[in-house]
Amino acid sequence: MDGPDVGWYLIVAAILFGIGALGVMMRRSPLIVLLSLELMLNAANLTLIAFARQQGDLDGQIFALAVMAVAAAEVAIGLGLIVAMARRRMLLDVDQASALRG
Amino acid sequence: MIVGAWICLVAPLAGALAITLAGTRISRTTAGWISTLTTFVAFAGALVAFVGLWAEGHGDREHLSTAYTWLESGDFQVELQILLDTLSSTMMLIVSGVGGLIVWYSMGYMEGDEEERRYFAYMSLFVFSMLMLVQAGNLLLLLIGWGLVGLASYLLIGFWHSKPEAVAAAKKAFVMNAIGDVTLALGLVLLIWETGTLEYLGVFEQVDGLSTTTVNLVALGLLGGAVAKSAQIPLHTWLPDAMEGPTPVSALIHAATMVTAGVYLLVRASPIFEAAPDVQALAAILGAITLLVAGVIALVQWDIKRVIAYSTMSQIGYMFLAAGIGAYGYAIFHLATHAFFKALLFMTAGVVIHHLGGEQDIRKMGGLRPLMPRTHLAFLVGALSLAGIPIFSGFWSKDGIVAAAFASGDTLGYTLYAAALTGALLTGLYTFRLYFAVFHGKPSELVKEHSHDGQREGPLSMLIPVGVLGVLATIGGLLVIPGVWEPFLHWIDETAEPTVKATVGQDYATSAIAVTLGLIGFFVARRASAAGRQIVTSPGIWRVLEHKLYFDEAYDALFYRPAAAISVALRRNVEEPVVERSLDEIGTGTLQVGGEVARVQSGLLRTYAIAIAFAVCVLVVVFVAVR
Amino acid sequence: MLTTALILLPIAGALVVAILPLPRETTAGLAFLVALMEVGLWITAATQFDFDDGGLQLGTSREWVESLGISYSVGFYGFSLWLAGVTVVVFAAAVGYAVWVGRDRSRAYHALMLFLLGAVVATFAAQDLLLFYISFEAMLIPLYVLVGVWGGERRQAATVTFVIYTMAGSLLMLASVVAFGVTERTFSLTEGITSDNVWIFLGFAVAFAVKAPLFPFHGWLPLAYREAPVEVAAVLSAVVSKTAIYGFIRIGLPSFPEPAADLSGLILVLACAGLVYGSLLAFRAPDLRGVIAYSSMAQMGLITIGVFAFDDLGLDGAVLLSVAHALVSASMFLLVGMVERRCGTSEIAALGGTARGRPTLATVVLVAGMIALAVPGSATFAGEFLIMAGAYDQGWGYSVVVALGIVLAAMYTLRVISAILHVKPGHAVRDEALDLRAGELALVLPLLLILLGLSVWPALVSESAFAGSTIAELLP
Repeated sequence: MDGPDVGWYLIVAAILFGIGALGVMMRRSPLIVLLSLELMLNAANLTLIAFARQQGDLDGQIFALAVMAVAAAEVAIGLGLIVAMARRRMLLDVDQASALRG
Repeated sequence: MIVGAWICLVAPLAGALAITLAGTRISRTTAGWISTLTTFVAFAGALVAFVGLWAEGHGDREHLSTAYTWLESGDFQVELQILLDTLSSTMMLIVSGVGGLIVWYSMGYMEGDEEERRYFAYMSLFVFSMLMLVQAGNLLLLLIGWGLVGLASYLLIGFWHSKPEAVAAAKKAFVMNAIGDVTLALGLVLLIWETGTLEYLGVFEQVDGLSTTTVNLVALGLLGGAVAKSAQIPLHTWLPDAMEGPTPVSALIHAATMVTAGVYLLVRASPIFEAAPDVQALAAILGAITLLVAGVIALVQWDIKRVIAYSTMSQIGYMFLAAGIGAYGYAIFHLATHAFFKALLFMTAGVVIHHLGGEQDIRKMGGLRPLMPRTHLAFLVGALSLAGIPIFSGFWSKDGIVAAAFASGDTLGYTLYAAALTGALLTGLYTFRLYFAVFHGKPSELVKEHSHDGQREGPLSMLIPVGVLGVLATIGGLLVIPGVWEPFLHWIDETAEPTVKATVGQDYATSAIAVTLGLIGFFVARRASAAGRQIVTSPGIWRVLEHKLYFDEAYDALFYRPAAAISVALRRNVEEPVVERSLDEIGTGTLQVGGEVARVQSGLLRTYAIAIAFAVCVLVVVFVAVR
Repeated sequence: MLTTALILLPIAGALVVAILPLPRETTAGLAFLVALMEVGLWITAATQFDFDDGGLQLGTSREWVESLGISYSVGFYGFSLWLAGVTVVVFAAAVGYAVWVGRDRSRAYHALMLFLLGAVVATFAAQDLLLFYISFEAMLIPLYVLVGVWGGERRQAATVTFVIYTMAGSLLMLASVVAFGVTERTFSLTEGITSDNVWIFLGFAVAFAVKAPLFPFHGWLPLAYREAPVEVAAVLSAVVSKTAIYGFIRIGLPSFPEPAADLSGLILVLACAGLVYGSLLAFRAPDLRGVIAYSSMAQMGLITIGVFAFDDLGLDGAVLLSVAHALVSASMFLLVGMVERRCGTSEIAALGGTARGRPTLATVVLVAGMIALAVPGSATFAGEFLIMAGAYDQGWGYSVVVALGIVLAAMYTLRVISAILHVKPGHAVRDEALDLRAGELALVLPLLLILLGLSVWPALVSESAFAGSTIAELLP
């Protein structure tokens, strides 16, 4: 098998995932939160593909495609929400959107 | 022959269905004719069956005919089958014959009632049910007939359903009969487990192999049913109240046929009762008690129909006594003659009530003899027969029972004998108290008011059946003349062999005593009537008797009120506080817990994300640690 | 295939009714037509059914989730075919009644009713535990909505109690289903696999006890039966409650022979308690619906006694009485609905005297009432007698309790009959209140005719419920 060992890929993916997770937890702008979410998903994708290559079958790649589709759908909804918030002239701050508080 | 029996069974059912389905498309008279004619068709069928049976040889007179399997479960089967033997053919003749006459009579009596069609449908239903009862070839079918006659009785007692008393009486009759039904059913359950069948013949074959306890319990179950249906103490209180129904109903159901079903059962199931002699003796004792108690209570009643109702209870007491000591032939013989003269008494009472515009209180009657000569004659025939005066039918049947009690010997037999003779005196007293109060003395205001209505005593459809029954009540007893001519007894003996038989000497000696007592009753009643006083003079005793020995009050206090109280108490103390409120508490509890937990839901997305991340970390640690 | 069609037809009907933007009357008519077609389909199934064969018939089986041993497996035994038959008939009458009174929000209402029908039939047909569970739960959703939206004044409370009770039962059952599947490695009911785990059995038993309901799990019953629309109450007491009996017979006894035998004493005592308790409460309930609700509970206790008598007589009696009681209680509820429409109330004190001048109503109420109180000769009587005889196997005391129940039934049923028909008209009965109309009669009469037919020949059901099989070799 050519190329770096699978462990390297996993390290990169873990770093990506950590950045994404921290972003989701710490940033208040919904746009950044969404970006961070994408980062996490792509970290997962990277892992899937890395393992797929190591195992030598296509299942992981197919799954990655499915994740990408889901991610695209999610971004569409998320952006839609952000636009709707902007239209209503709400502050673009996720902490303000707490109507679901129990 | 067997076809005749089936026709006998089906014809009244067809009548009931036809009237129900036709509804208002047929006139009231047509409904009456359908009911009358189908009942007479049934009588013709019964006659065919009887003649066919008569023609057969001695010992062959037992036919079982099966239509189909009514109920089946595993190995247990109950078939819709009829048993034609000497006993059932006799009962078929009585039920359909007397029934036909009374339905015919009803056409006159009920004329003008706005719900005549419903009445005739019920009457036909009753005749069908009663025939089912007596023709049934197994005990479950008997129980079905048993329940259906109870249903018909309920419907007919409560026929005038806007009268609260009638509805209450109907419900009371049904519930008391339901008690009898279930004891009977419990007896059958025991039989199923012990013998595996409910067919009479199959059960009777196996009776000897059963343990004493089993047989006693089965017999007790059957006796419970018989006591309830035949209004014997202690399940008798419904019968007097049942007089709220139309008078022909009282004649047919509460005198001639249904209430005697208990006697039929005692005779039909005689092999079971003979295997349980204690229970059989209990039947005789209950009969004796009833015949005395009812006879005494009849002395203080003012309602013409209630007097006759108590007399019915008393006479059925005689039949129970007879069946209890094993004189089956006489039990059925008295059943037959009683059907004639008691139906006659009720129907003449009905003519009187009809004539007086519905009045039933004998204090408002009197002096009717010159105004209603034919009715008077018929009533007199019934009264003489009831009191057991010679020639008339009741004489032959009742005295036979009394003599048999003597012949059965030992202390019990002599006690029963004494009771039966006392009963003869009581019968004479209450019968003629009623007779003199209604037909003699000065005409009351009410009678005068109605006496210029015209000469007719009633429509022909009422008078002809009365006449026929009058003739039967006069000569019907001649089927048994002790020592000379006893075809009726021999006929019944083929099905139920008696265990006791009085000698001819005992018979005639007993008759002499009984007739004397009956005549004493007559003269005492006449003197009392002439002097304008009552037979019971002590006001204390009068009050106790007027309350019917407080049976109703006792049952009310013992059963009805506790049941109602338990029901209300259960609702107040269990259903509402525990079951329903527990639910409220579950509800509020859930809400509270929910409120506490809801605080965690801050609505801040980031805290959620942190929580998830934290949870994932914990899980990872757990998995690693576990591995 | 027929079995699948029986399940799918009403569900498809529900979809069509819900989606097609038809006018209100057309929607209702379409729903009624689907219900009638379902009856026709059942008759077809019955003609193809061999009633002498005690095995599974009209069966279909497809792998569903192979790795977990879940399959779509349906079919009928004799007794379940009868229960399904009575279901389709009762539903036809109930949907017909809803059409007659013109329920509002017609599309939603009829879609839910048809969906409910499909779910009940599926419950009676399911031969796989998971499928059974799904169908059992699927009945609840439409019921919640039907009671909560179309019910009476206190419908919210009624729905909430109903939800709490049934959800609690369902969760226990789900746990049991999963536990059974995990321990026995299959969800199939046709392979004759048994478990001797008492706890798994208890999970099922509690779910069924809530659904029946048995004492003391009946807390939801009075409110739900009082507040639901009458035809929903009819369906609830007539057929939905019978799924519990079916569960006991199909799952409780054959899959858990030992636990069922061990716990039969407890269940019998509860059933007896329910019989007496329900009867006594029915005897003093202030309204018609209350009487029928509690009497229904009493009858369910009686049927349960029959099931746990562990012999042929009791089991056949239980099926016979289930079928008869379904028809009786549906007719009684529909009749109460008709009386309520005329008088605006079902308070016994405010009713009475309707027999005068209303012969059809009087006759129909009387016939239904007489069969309800099990007058000897009726199909209900045949069932009760068999149960009484069967219960003797477990002890004479049970037979005596059954007998007591029969007497009490006479008392409370006569009270209902008299309350509607007899004595003076109550203050809620106006003179212009009509006799039964032809349309109403056409809904109740078929139910009563079937009952009368069964009364003439109860062996039709009792003999074919478990043809040729004795209790020892029950199912499958």
